[in-house]
Amino acid sequence: MKCASDIEVRDVEEMYINIDPIQAGGRLTADAMKAVIAYADGYSVCDNCRKPFRLDYIQKPPIAQFHADLARWLNMDTARVVPGARRGFQAVASSLVERGDPVILTSLAHYTEYLAIEEAGGVPREIPKDGSNRITADAAAERIEAVIREFSRTPPLLFLDHVDYQYGNVHDVAGIIKVAHQYDIPVLVNGAYTVGIMPVDGKALGADFLVGSGHKSMAAPAPSGVLATVEEYAGKVFRTTEARGDLTGRTFGIKEVEMMGCTLMGVTVVGMMASFPHVQERVKGWETEVAHSQAVVDALLSIEGTKVLSEYPRRHTLTRVDTRESFDRVAQQHKKKGYFLSNDLKKRGVIGVIPGSTRVWKFNTFGLTENQIRHLSEAFVEIARDNGLNCL
Amino acid sequence: MSKRAVDAVFQALFLLSDIRFLLRETAPDHELDEGERERAATILEKVRRQVTILEEELVG
Repeated sequence: MKCASDIEVRDVEEMYINIDPIQAGGRLTADAMKAVIAYADGYSVCDNCRKPFRLDYIQKPPIAQFHADLARWLNMDTARVVPGARRGFQAVASSLVERGDPVILTSLAHYTEYLAIEEAGGVPREIPKDGSNRITADAAAERIEAVIREFSRTPPLLFLDHVDYQYGNVHDVAGIIKVAHQYDIPVLVNGAYTVGIMPVDGKALGADFLVGSGHKSMAAPAPSGVLATVEEYAGKVFRTTEARGDLTGRTFGIKEVEMMGCTLMGVTVVGMMASFPHVQERVKGWETEVAHSQAVVDALLSIEGTKVLSEYPRRHTLTRVDTRESFDRVAQQHKKKGYFLSNDLKKRGVIGVIPGSTRVWKFNTFGLTENQIRHLSEAFVEIARDNGLNCL
Repeated sequence: MSKRAVDAVFQALFLLSDIRFLLRETAPDHELDEGERERAATILEKVRRQVTILEEELVG
C-alpha cells in the first residue's frame, strides 16, 4: 500500500512488535497523531502569532504555556523546544565554548556531542568508562584534573549522558556534576534516553543544562527536543539578536540567536504538546517498564551462551546483549547466515533487530504491553529451541 | 462553507486514529479481548455517524 506515488505506507508499528533501540520512546501517542493530522501544514502554528513574533510567545495553540510547563516539569528555570537534542548541544556549546577550549564528555557520549564541540572550535576530552561500562565520579575527577594540567585552563563545559545509548546504563549524574561544580565547570545532561520515559529532576541532578529528545523519548515527531537551563545560563544561551543591517538599519526584535529565531513551527511542536500529558503520566510507570525489560533480558539469559553487556539487573529498557555464543553459533551453520535471527523474529511478529546481527546487538522494550513482553520473550526462546540451542 | 462537514472529516480521522492505536497495542496478533472489542465497536459506530454527516453535507 502506498500513501503517495512511490512512498510506501509505514505500518510497522501496527503490524509488529518493534524493539528498535532508537524508536521505542518516540512512538507517538494517539493524541499526538491527531494533532499531527490537524497541524500537518508547514507553518501551521503561526496562525495566531502576534507581536513580539516568537514561537514561545504564541498563546493559541498554547505554546507559551507549554514552554513554562516543560521547564517546571523538568525542574529547571527556562526551556525552549529545539529541533532535536543535538540542536540543544549545539546551542550550549556555541554559547560557552571558545576556539581551542577543552570540553569534557564521556567515552560513551553520542556522536552529536562531539560534533557540537567541533563546530564551536573546542577540543573533546573523554572520561573513560570502567570495566562495567559505567562513568564514575572518580573517573570524572581524574580526567578534569588531567585536562586542566594539559590545557592550563578549566574546561568551559562538560557533557554527560544520563543514560548512554550504547549500553542503556544509568550513570552517576549527580555525583559527576558535584565533582564538575567543584571546578566551576557547568554540566549539560543529555537526557535523550531519559527525559520523557523516566522521572528526571534537573535541579536534583544539579544540571546546568538539561536536554531531551522529543522523537527519541517524548512521543513526538522528528526533529524535536527540549533544551532547559538554570537561570544563571539562560541569558547567555537564549540571548537575543543585536544584529542590524548596515544599509537598511533592519533589526530583528527578540529573536534568539542560538535558536535561529523560531524552532519548531508545525507538527513537531504540536506533537510534543499533545503527547505531553501522557508523557508526564507515563514516567510514573517507569518501574513497570524496567520490570518488562528485565523479563525479556532474563528470557534471553535463559538461552545458553547469551550474555548481557549492559548493567544487570537492568535499570533501563535499552539493553545490549552478546549472543556470539548462542545465536551467532546458529548463524555459522544456518543457510540464511546471520539473517536467520531477524527473519525468524519477523515471522513471529517482531522487528527492530538489525538484519544480520547475531553477535552484539541492542533492543528496547519501552512502551510494550504485558502481552507483547510475553510474546517477545517467548519468541526469543522459541527461536533458540528451534535452532538447537539449550534453554534453561 | 460546511463547518459541519469539516468537523466530521476531522472527527472521523481522529476516531480512525484510535483504531490505529488499538492495532498497535495488540500487534502482532490483533487478538482483541472483550473490552477492546467493545471499544472498537463504539469507535466504529461513531465513525459511521461521521460518514453519514459527510454524505448529508456533501452528497445530499
